[in-house]
Amino acid sequence: MNHTLTFTHDEKQASVTVPTNTLLTDAAHLAGIDITQPCGGQGRCGRCAVMVTEGTVRRRSTLRLSPADIEQGYALACQTVVEGDVEIFIPPQEKIERRLTTDRVVAEVTVPADYEYPFAQTVRRVHLTLTPPSMDDQTDDWSRLQTALRLQHRIENPTCSLPLLRKIGSTLRQDDWRVTAIIETSRPSDHATTRPSDHTTIRLIDLLPGHVDEYSPLWGCAIDIGTTTVTLWLVDLVTGQVRAQVAEYNGQIARGEDVISRIIYANKNGGGDELRQRVSGTINSLLELACKRIKLPQGKVTPDQVVKATIAGNTTMMHLLLGIPASSIRLSPFVPTVNHPPMMTGRDIGLNVNPEAAVDCLPGVASYVGADITAGVLSSGLDSAENVTLFLDVGTNGETVLGNRDWLVTCACSAGPAFEGAGVVNGMRATQGAIEEIWINGETLEPTYRVIGGGKPKGICGSGLISLLSEAFITGVIDKGGNVNLSARSPRVREGAHGGEYVVAWGAETESGEDIVITRVDIDNLLRAKAAIYAGFTVLAENVGIPLETVDKVLVGGSFGKYINVEKAVQIGLLPDMDWSRFEFLGNTSVKGAYYALLDWRKRERITEIAKRMTYIELSADNSFYEAFTSALFLPHTDLSKFPSVVEALSSKIEGRTSFDR
Amino acid sequence: MPIEIPKDKWPGSIRTVTIGATSADGGTRSKTVTLGGYTTLPFMHFEAPMSNPPVIAIEIKSRKPDDWSPLLFEAWGDVMNDPAQWAKKAEETGADLLVLALTVEDSVEDAVKAVKSVLSASGLPLIVWGPGQAEKDNELLVPIAEATKGERLVLGICEDKNYRTIVATAMANGHLVQARTPMDVNLSKQLNILISDMGMPKDRILMDPTTGALGYGIEYGYSVMERLRLAALQGDAMTQSPMIVTPGFEAWKTKEAKVGEGVPEAWGDWKARAINWETLTAMALIESGADVVVLRHPESVRRVREAIGELVMA
Repeated sequence: MNHTLTFTHDEKQASVTVPTNTLLTDAAHLAGIDITQPCGGQGRCGRCAVMVTEGTVRRRSTLRLSPADIEQGYALACQTVVEGDVEIFIPPQEKIERRLTTDRVVAEVTVPADYEYPFAQTVRRVHLTLTPPSMDDQTDDWSRLQTALRLQHRIENPTCSLPLLRKIGSTLRQDDWRVTAIIETSRPSDHATTRPSDHTTIRLIDLLPGHVDEYSPLWGCAIDIGTTTVTLWLVDLVTGQVRAQVAEYNGQIARGEDVISRIIYANKNGGGDELRQRVSGTINSLLELACKRIKLPQGKVTPDQVVKATIAGNTTMMHLLLGIPASSIRLSPFVPTVNHPPMMTGRDIGLNVNPEAAVDCLPGVASYVGADITAGVLSSGLDSAENVTLFLDVGTNGETVLGNRDWLVTCACSAGPAFEGAGVVNGMRATQGAIEEIWINGETLEPTYRVIGGGKPKGICGSGLISLLSEAFITGVIDKGGNVNLSARSPRVREGAHGGEYVVAWGAETESGEDIVITRVDIDNLLRAKAAIYAGFTVLAENVGIPLETVDKVLVGGSFGKYINVEKAVQIGLLPDMDWSRFEFLGNTSVKGAYYALLDWRKRERITEIAKRMTYIELSADNSFYEAFTSALFLPHTDLSKFPSVVEALSSKIEGRTSFDR
Repeated sequence: MPIEIPKDKWPGSIRTVTIGATSADGGTRSKTVTLGGYTTLPFMHFEAPMSNPPVIAIEIKSRKPDDWSPLLFEAWGDVMNDPAQWAKKAEETGADLLVLALTVEDSVEDAVKAVKSVLSASGLPLIVWGPGQAEKDNELLVPIAEATKGERLVLGICEDKNYRTIVATAMANGHLVQARTPMDVNLSKQLNILISDMGMPKDRILMDPTTGALGYGIEYGYSVMERLRLAALQGDAMTQSPMIVTPGFEAWKTKEAKVGEGVPEAWGDWKARAINWETLTAMALIESGADVVVLRHPESVRRVREAIGELVMA
């Protein structure tokens, strides 16, 4: 029996007549419409969702659709057959992607609702109009300035550095004794009393001629120094808005991929100095780049206008930035020089910000749980969570925190930089040109991918690597041990210089003209990274006697792209197999925490509290971590009973697997 | 007062695996060897019978080895020049089955010929090891598997980086495989999963957890085997394969067994020491759950056989 199908697509209509049981994708093809099928029409990706507005169809599989979607008429075109005359609406691709239950988009950065610059900020700008000196009043310039501050703004006993003192005389005279002072107050006055507390110290950061528009930006920056990636946000402290976000690989990578090799390098003659310069060089070039991104009517923004910087980073990175010997971090009993660094200035640590800028290095907990994690706990809200929550930082050091508002335990394990795109032949950061998602057709083993920015691909970023590993595994390109199946019949599977490899993009499609591949070595690095992270949180949960299933939410931090496909991350055994709705992807939680601390002194104090509250669990104390690590060094895991959803996904694929096995 | 011995009731059992096929089953072996099939830790007769006690394989080589101890040359003599004669003598010595280890010098023709000559010289079930280089192993084992279709040989050695070709040819030609992993419970299990994923029936896989000789890490190997056995008895299907270990190879690598000169006088008689080393290594592994021990010296074979007999009777 024949039926008439009418497709509406792109505001155009097309009709076709087909027999009963024709697939919607085939019917659409006959009507001249190609529906995207990245997974090769296996009902796995959900990208071919269409809306049946009229008529009867039969859905063979609805794996990617929620009951609400089906209620609304959604159907997967590759899994749905015609049973009568049908009218179908094909929605634009972006609309479908937003519906997918598997995808977690990184939370947007918004200025905290309670941010009020005059009360929350430790750095502020004040206008002063001084009475010019005369023969009757021969008070010196500095005293005159202090008097004005006291009388006009109740600012008592400010301090001033010698280099700044050298220039105040000329600045005061430049615009007829009208100046703008930038002041740092260690602890701003409370809402209720405008009187500063006894412990308050006040420091003059800069003095500018004339009265600067009070609504013009006052610049600060939040910095996360990762072992692999350094991230910098340039912030207008007046409005609290993040005006530029930039990131770059840490210049220290050339001297070792993990903290241990960096510490060893720093210990060599001149190594410490070199590493300090490398990371401050990275920060300075990021500052430069962030400033260039900002266009203001008042003119250019330059790094020396930045008057406050808040820095998060692991304990080793902090030591290396400050030029403090880090060797004790890696030697028993693993004690760093400092967990709570004192306040510093830009000049002290060699950043190209204003030399007097307030530089605040956030406090850490221990040698292997640094300020990146205390900042991450703050920004993820873990320390105020009612129910038990797991926070994972999918970064080079794989820190994990478990807890709620009553208790917090933490551990760290060396995961390596693979998920940040380093240590992988064609890996890259999640920027323009990075492949961020990949689907492999289970029949032909041909991939479909999406590139950030939409141009030619340059490499693969963290989220792309997660989806590639998962797709290669599910379609049988690699086995559970990560071995490339060289007997698979596809030109994309081949023997490379380092063993088996899979070609994601042929040279003709790529920016460089070279093939983009994933090699056996890359796969090993990714497996080790995911195994370390999985082992870290399972051992931590075991240690405190909390079964993972009882964890209310899993918060995932990491700088591997703007979104993560939770299903893929579960399929490779990076994340625990639980309901997708329990995962939240927070992006770079460390820089976000630094941003909150930059804005508000109360948030800054909360980080100190968090650092005090966290209990550190040393994973190397017994064998349980190693045991958990080797059992996680498999896809998805040696103990398949921990991954029921993956077992299910695999069992529906068995026929597809054997079809190309010789 | 009567003492009640506590008994464990295990939910899992060791899988029954048969090596070799007689003419009734499409092979030419005069006997077969069956392993596993029990539900207890080794020799805990009060819990459950040890239905198939451990067996002894003797290792022979396709060419006379140049790196074995003089004591082994003395024990075997001229038969080492011909795998068929060596096989016959090993059978007479009391082996339950044979291991034929190929060498890198063997061409495909040499290897196939050696295997066939061993099969016709001895009726015992046979395990064939490639020389231990992935490419060469695959090159030799595929034609051997095809030339001996239906014999239920054990082909080895599969490792996690090189198992596909060996498993595929074993599956196609009715043989078994030996799956070796470096002394780790999880790795053993993982390789078993990988091999089963290819469609290999589980009763055609032997686990080789690797071990060390007495004084050279045996306690680590012992512990891994014991944990594998406990996991199997607790019902983990991927650790229930019978275990094969190579105490002969390990013990004869040690300085104590291999050389008689330039060692302290207090070490005593060389030959006695060497055989003790191999025997004690093998017995410790049998106690930890080994189902097949691969030995080298005829005297060790005699002693281990006697010890197994006593343990079975006890």
